[in-house]
Amino acid sequence: MAPRQKTNEARRILHSTAIAPTEPLILDAFTSDPAGRILHLVLSKREQGAHVIGLYCGYAPLELIRAIKGIPAFLCASSGKTIAAAEAVLPANLCPLIKSSFGYIRTKSCPFYELSEVVIGETTCDGKKKMFELIAPLKPTHVMDLPYQPVEEGTLARWTDRVRRLKAFLEETFAAEIAAERIEAEIRETNLKCRLMDRVFDYAALDPSALHWSELLDIIAVEPLMGGEEFHRFVSPLLQRLETRAAGGIGFARPGSPRVLVSGCPIGGEAKKVLRIVEEAGGVVVALEGCSGMKGYSIRIDEGTGDPLAAVAAATLKIPCACMTPNRRRFDALDEMIRRFRPHAVIDVILQACHTYNIESWQIERHVQERHGLPFLKIETDYSQSDVEPLRTRIEALLESC
Amino acid sequence: MKGIGLDIGSRTVKLVVCENGVIKMTRKEANTHDPLSLCRDMLCGIEADRIIATGYGRHLLGGYLPCETVSEIKAFARGSQAIHKPCSTVLDIGGQDTKAISLDDKGKIARFQMNDKCAAGTGRFLEVMATALGLSLEDFIEAAASAETAEPVNSMCAVFAESEVISMIARGSSRAGIALGIHQAVARRAVSLLEKVSVREDILFAGGVALNPCMRTQIEEQLGRLVIVPQDPQIVGALGCALMASEE
Repeated sequence: MAPRQKTNEARRILHSTAIAPTEPLILDAFTSDPAGRILHLVLSKREQGAHVIGLYCGYAPLELIRAIKGIPAFLCASSGKTIAAAEAVLPANLCPLIKSSFGYIRTKSCPFYELSEVVIGETTCDGKKKMFELIAPLKPTHVMDLPYQPVEEGTLARWTDRVRRLKAFLEETFAAEIAAERIEAEIRETNLKCRLMDRVFDYAALDPSALHWSELLDIIAVEPLMGGEEFHRFVSPLLQRLETRAAGGIGFARPGSPRVLVSGCPIGGEAKKVLRIVEEAGGVVVALEGCSGMKGYSIRIDEGTGDPLAAVAAATLKIPCACMTPNRRRFDALDEMIRRFRPHAVIDVILQACHTYNIESWQIERHVQERHGLPFLKIETDYSQSDVEPLRTRIEALLESC
Repeated sequence: MKGIGLDIGSRTVKLVVCENGVIKMTRKEANTHDPLSLCRDMLCGIEADRIIATGYGRHLLGGYLPCETVSEIKAFARGSQAIHKPCSTVLDIGGQDTKAISLDDKGKIARFQMNDKCAAGTGRFLEVMATALGLSLEDFIEAAASAETAEPVNSMCAVFAESEVISMIARGSSRAGIALGIHQAVARRAVSLLEKVSVREDILFAGGVALNPCMRTQIEEQLGRLVIVPQDPQIVGALGCALMASEE
C-alpha cells in the first residue's frame, strides 16, 4: 500500500484541476444499458445450464450457490413503479424496498424473479420476513433465520447450522451434492474477486476520484455473476483505463469539490436520486458504505480451514448490517473507509420505515462528528421523486458547511 | 458595493437591498403560482452589483438573470449574526420548513437540523389547522392565547391532525383549547429540533411563524429560556443573502 499512497499524494498535487473522463469505463455491447448487461449474463449462464437462484441480500452465501452450479440473481427492489401494486396488499408505511420487490413479483415484472428456480430470503428485518410468507406459495422459497447478536456465544454455531440447512435445501432441490472441496474452491474465487474489487476502490480513493459512483455500481452488479477468472478478465481492462485516467489527472471533481461518503440503506434504482443531487450540488461521491456498495468486499473468507462451510458462515456473519446488535463492525468499517476515501462529509441514507438503520443513524452521526469531525446529514427517503427539492436544500446546506 | 438578497419562500418572497453592509430597502410579497414573475416585479427598478437568492425558489432566477444561490441555512446564519451578534442558536419556522442552526463562537455554522421533508409543524401546518377550526390565522392565534387549558393534539401530519381536530370538535372541545394544543404541538417539535443541535443562548427566532406571539411564548415555556424575535423576523434569510452580495 505504501508506494500507492505516495503516488496518490503526487497526483493530488499535480492534478488539482480535474478533467472529466470522456470515455466510458465499461466498453461492451451494454455500455449504455447496464441493466441489460446483468440480464444478458444471467440468461447466458442459464443457457449453459446454471440454476437461477433469486436473492435479496449478502447473508445468503454465494459460495454455496456457485458450488451447486447456481447463478445468483438479485431480485428487483428499487423502483417506485411497482409500489402501487404492492400497496394493494402491503401497508403503505413500509420500507420501499420491500414494497417494490413485492410489487415486482405481484405484477410479474422482475425478469430475475421470473427466471429464478428458487428464492433465498434472510430475516434481516420484520418486513421482509413477513413478505417472504406472501411470496413463498409462488415459488420454492428458503428463508434463512438470521441471528442478530454477532459476537454472542452460540450465535456463530446457530448461523452455521442455518447455512448447513441452506446447503441441504439446495442439494435436495437440485438433486446434487455440494462437496466440501467445491465450497473451498468457491471461497478462493470470492477472495480473488474481493481483492480485485479492492483495486477498483483504490481509484475512488484518489483525489480527484477516477471512478464514478455509477461505474462502481455497474461493476458491483456484475461481480456476483462471474467466477474469479472471468471477473479478472472483465475487470482488467477497466483497471487499465482507470490507471490511464489517474495518470492523466482525469477524474470526477472540480477543484474544491467536497468528497462525500454515502452510508446507510442499500441504494439502487430510484434511490440513486440522492447521489445525483450530491453531484448537482457540487459534491463528488467517493465511497458507498451500504451493502449495495463497498461494505461486503472488506470481508475475506478464511481459506484452508478444513471446514469451508463454517468458514463461509463465519464470514457472512461479519456483514455489518444494522439488523445486528451491537453492530460494532459497522463503525470499525466506517473508520477504515473514512481513512481510505478521505470524505469531507457523510450522508446517511435511510429508506422510509427501515427502523434499524434509522435508529443506528443517531450513533453514526455522533461517531462521524465526534471521532472524525465531519459534517453529517441523515436523509430519510423512498423511491418517489417528490422530495428531490427538500433533499437538495439539505444537501446543499451540508456541502456549504464542508 | 450594492447587493440584493432574495428569499423565495413557499409562502412569501422577501427582498433586501444592502450597500456596504447597510440595509437600503426591504420588500415582502405573498408568493403566487408564478414566483418568477413575482420576483421580476419585485426586482423592477432596483440596480445592484450582485444578486444572491435562497429559499425553495432559489434556482428559479438563474436562467433569467445572473443570480447566485446559497442554502437557507447559510443565509439565516449570516442574517442572524448581522441582526444580533451574540446569537448562538437560530430557529426559523417558515412556510414549509423548520430549521435549527447552532453557530460557533466565530459565527460559523456548527450544526444544523431541518424538519422532516413534509410541512408538518411549519407555518403552513398552522394555516391548515386554523382553516380546520373555521378561523382566520389572526383569530386562531388570538384564540390560542386566550385559552385557559390546552386540548392536547398529537398528530403532526396536516391530514391526520385535521381528522384529530374534527373529532375533538365533535366531542365538544373548545376551539381556543384546540388552538392552544396545536401551538403547543408545533412548539414541542421545534424544541426537539433545537435540542438536536444543542441550544446555547442567545437564541434568535426567525421566519414568518416568529410573528405569532403565542408560538413565541410556547417555545420559551417549553425551552425554559427566552428567545429573541427580530423586528422583522421574515427578512433574516434575505438579509443574509444581501449582506453576502454586498461584500467583495
